[in-house]
Amino acid sequence: MEIYLPIAEQSMNVFVLFALGAAAGLLAGMFGVGGGFLATPLLIFVGIPPAVAVASQANQVVANSVSSLQVQWRRGNVDLRMGLVLLLGGMIGSSAGVTLFTWLKAIGQIDFVIAVLYVILLSSIGSLMLFESVRTWFKRRRNPTAPRGKLHTHYLVHRLPWKMRFYKSKLYISAFLPITLGFLIGILSAILGVGGGFVLVPAMIYLLGMPTTVVIGTSNFQILFVAANVVFLQAATNGTVDVVLALLLILGGVVGAPIGSRIAARLPGVVLRALMGVLVLAVATELLFELLRTPASPYSLGPREVLP
Amino acid sequence: MRRLIVLLLALLASNAVPGVASAQRIEPPPGSLTGPTFGPAPDSSLPPSVPSGPGMPELIVDLSQPRVSITSAFQGESLLLFGMFDPPGEIVVVVQGPPARETVLRKERFLGLWLNTGRMRFDDVPAYYFIAASAPLQRLLARASGSEILSLEDRLASIRPVRPRSPARLAEFRQGLVEVKRREDLYPANFGHVTVQAGRLFRAELPFPSRLPEGVYDVRTYLLREGKIVAAVSRPLPVGKVGFSAQLAGWSVEEGPLYGAGAIVMALVLGWLGGAVLRRL
Repeated sequence: MEIYLPIAEQSMNVFVLFALGAAAGLLAGMFGVGGGFLATPLLIFVGIPPAVAVASQANQVVANSVSSLQVQWRRGNVDLRMGLVLLLGGMIGSSAGVTLFTWLKAIGQIDFVIAVLYVILLSSIGSLMLFESVRTWFKRRRNPTAPRGKLHTHYLVHRLPWKMRFYKSKLYISAFLPITLGFLIGILSAILGVGGGFVLVPAMIYLLGMPTTVVIGTSNFQILFVAANVVFLQAATNGTVDVVLALLLILGGVVGAPIGSRIAARLPGVVLRALMGVLVLAVATELLFELLRTPASPYSLGPREVLP
Repeated sequence: MRRLIVLLLALLASNAVPGVASAQRIEPPPGSLTGPTFGPAPDSSLPPSVPSGPGMPELIVDLSQPRVSITSAFQGESLLLFGMFDPPGEIVVVVQGPPARETVLRKERFLGLWLNTGRMRFDDVPAYYFIAASAPLQRLLARASGSEILSLEDRLASIRPVRPRSPARLAEFRQGLVEVKRREDLYPANFGHVTVQAGRLFRAELPFPSRLPEGVYDVRTYLLREGKIVAAVSRPLPVGKVGFSAQLAGWSVEEGPLYGAGAIVMALVLGWLGGAVLRRL
């Protein structure tokens, strides 16, 4: 069954789009990060213009994160103070990101920048996750009752000024850190149409030293508002949010997410992280291959301008 | 501050969107559509335009549909053009999409990666171009030298880059433009056939792909005798989104912020409901 997407201006198979949304939801349920990093490149592969794919995917991220936030909020796993500080950076970053996106689109380099950013991000995060989970796996085998280390280690970053207390995260760190992190994630969110959970979650654990219990909830909080900001600005400045496309992705995601969390409940965390690492690396490899391969035709068309 | 604006607009949208959306679901039957995005549309109740004049041979043309309606189920469409003429003669049909400025981008290998390095902008590029004829076109056109009927190559030879460029580069990018348009079936590679029956009735299929730019297309039918145009009929063919698609696209352009707020509200409601319902299953 085909449906015409009014903003993408083409018809697409309903089930393909629904399945894409479900795959993203499945990942969200399994790994606690939005599946945007997988769904956006796949949308581009099936022929949706990158600008529309990114903006509409951001809309799915809104739906996805509100579902997860619902649970996390009830369990008290959101560090609101940290979330608001991250959000301050996130709002500035995503607004700057949309401006950057508009400019890149105008000079015809947006597709390239999206692909390159994905390759860099996904390959580094994928290999980190894979490496970390393999190491943990072997360590645990050798020494199953390893003593728990310090709550978190102190780096140079803890000496920065403008320190703030984050009671829920049991942290006393400079506010510059979360603001900068939020800013960078905001830019990513605007250009790649992802929530950025796959970058934000590891950064919160390893860089900020937040306890893992509040990481997912707090990142969901920040992602919800940043994604909403991206949707709003993309719609207002570029007109690239396709609600029909977003609706199908959201419906798919709603179905996929609980299946993912059920799978996650049955698998140990290490295996889960290794699986995720492999998946992320596979997407990165495919994207890199696309960049290196000689295209069927070197020509493409930019935006059409109807003259008065 | 931005959050405040978002919330405010979300509230506005939640009041405005549902009523309008449900009203737009009812799509009028094709053929009697009055789309909101169209320019002047031909009145289908009137007989098709015929150039009248003493001694001019008769040429009557009509289309199976007065317009191409892009609905939410649109997957491309084939229109039937039919008519009658005073024999003898040959029929040529030229369909042109509205002209616009197009930017052609060219990828080149840079440090092993393929990226757009070249670009050229052209003015007056037809969105769509299709020719059908009742006899091999080359023969008809060769005899009709200096006529207004142009093959795609001749039509594109007249487009000019926005900034002057070297002829070699110009030819390459022009070829690239045709390549992309061919790929999207906007410049169908094959000439269409006009079938003539009983010596005076003719018909031709006009193929329109799913990625069809909007605007008023021009359908021209010519009657040729010995390479000379003896009669011509021009019909505008509006192509546009109708119904729900048209509403959405219209809002997206005219009410961008409100549209964005509506999209956010939709995502929030569905995400919330989805999360709440499916957790209980």
